[in-house]
Amino acid sequence: MAEIVLEAINIRKSFNETVLNGINLRLESNEILGIVGPNACGKTTLLRILAGLERADDGEVRRRGKVGLVFQEDRLLPWMTLMENVCLGLKYSGARGDAAVERVLRYSDRFGLSLSDLESHPLRVSGGTRRKAAIVRALALEPEVILMDEPFTGLDFQTTSVIRSTLSELLRELNSSTIIVSHQLEELLAIADRCLIMTPRPSKIAEEVVLRGLDLEDRLERVKGILLRMIGDPSKTPVRIGEPSRI
Amino acid sequence: MLPFERGSSLRAGELSSLMVLLSVWVLLSFSGIFPSPWDVAEYLLNIESESMFSNAMITLFNSFSGFSTALISSLTLGVLSHRFRILRGFSDGICSIFNSTSALIWSLIMVSTLGVLSPLSPILVVTAVTLPQLLSAITAALDSVDERLLEVVRSLGGSPSDEYFDVIIPSSLPALISSSRIAIGLGLRISVVAEAFGSRGGIGYMIMRSYNLANATGVLAWSLLMIALVMAMDHLLRSIEERSMRWLR
Repeated sequence: MAEIVLEAINIRKSFNETVLNGINLRLESNEILGIVGPNACGKTTLLRILAGLERADDGEVRRRGKVGLVFQEDRLLPWMTLMENVCLGLKYSGARGDAAVERVLRYSDRFGLSLSDLESHPLRVSGGTRRKAAIVRALALEPEVILMDEPFTGLDFQTTSVIRSTLSELLRELNSSTIIVSHQLEELLAIADRCLIMTPRPSKIAEEVVLRGLDLEDRLERVKGILLRMIGDPSKTPVRIGEPSRI
Repeated sequence: MLPFERGSSLRAGELSSLMVLLSVWVLLSFSGIFPSPWDVAEYLLNIESESMFSNAMITLFNSFSGFSTALISSLTLGVLSHRFRILRGFSDGICSIFNSTSALIWSLIMVSTLGVLSPLSPILVVTAVTLPQLLSAITAALDSVDERLLEVVRSLGGSPSDEYFDVIIPSSLPALISSSRIAIGLGLRISVVAEAFGSRGGIGYMIMRSYNLANATGVLAWSLLMIALVMAMDHLLRSIEERSMRWLR
């Protein structure tokens, strides 16, 4: 039986209204878990609670090992170069020297970040380059668990494709366990092993779909079917079902 | 408009304003109200370079010492009131009281309490006048720190001191440098007033001495020296400010 690296038990969270209404999930080692759901159903709040940045009103989160987080926005520190940004986590963990730099350069290279990109400040590079740097910053720590909030949003087709394929390869190589929250169903389902579908507020996990062994079309069809049943008219839902990436 | 065009049009603008002022001065000197520019130039050339240098240095020392004291005090108070909200009212009170007190009042208070010849008077007047400017800029900068960037540091395992060194201080730096540039310029101008009231040297002291001797040429010559000093300092600090905020552009 696979080891559980992250577990959320009966998570509840309210702001002015109930957002999360008893979420239970388990992340197994070396697994990529996708989470989808309608807008404002609390996916980001759930991720923040799992990362320890937000406190749940009720319930428990059990984590094993380091957790790396990729935020929905790039959140790079604008006064630092991309290299300094990418090395931040390593600096805090006390990792220094050639090995740390070599690790950062290796991951940066995999995402196509050049040395001149790394020497630039965030406001001087494209949104795609910033997103890649934000992902490398989380991966450079080589955490046991990686949480990603909308890693493909707001990017062109080419950048999305590079990030998707590189992420897919790297996450397998690192043996990291990953949770990805995304509205871009095709990109998410292409790399996920399992997918959880959240209901609208007050949110619960509506269904779980095991994606291993299915091709992309079957994955899309399954998840799309559940979402359509749950939400109804797709024109009224912001979740883009089976829609190709933006070009 | 290309950047070099903007720069050259700015220089042309500055030059034209200088020409207008000089023309007005020449016209006034013909009426006999003002000493002529060439009389002032001659006076300036006849000031012993040692005297010019030592008085300029006294004024610079007074304003920088006063500014540094204000900067250290406002940084300490600003950071403490950011960390402990209970101190915010105290910090706001200091700001509004100091802001409502004119440089003249501070000068008179310092001279009457410390004595006419005390070297501390001009320094403390500069501190009192620049402190509210710096304190309100620091408070505003600390209040506007992006909480999302602090979350990044926390999510990467950073400590509260990492939050200060990697986010709070760098994000407050542009506001701090800009307000420091303004405060140093203000400090120089205020220091002259304080020196005029009570000091043993400095440009303000020399202006007052020329005034007491009914030497209008001397007053204008030392004033021009003061203006040149303030402008040179502003130019220097502006270039430091631009360099430190390169990442913003």
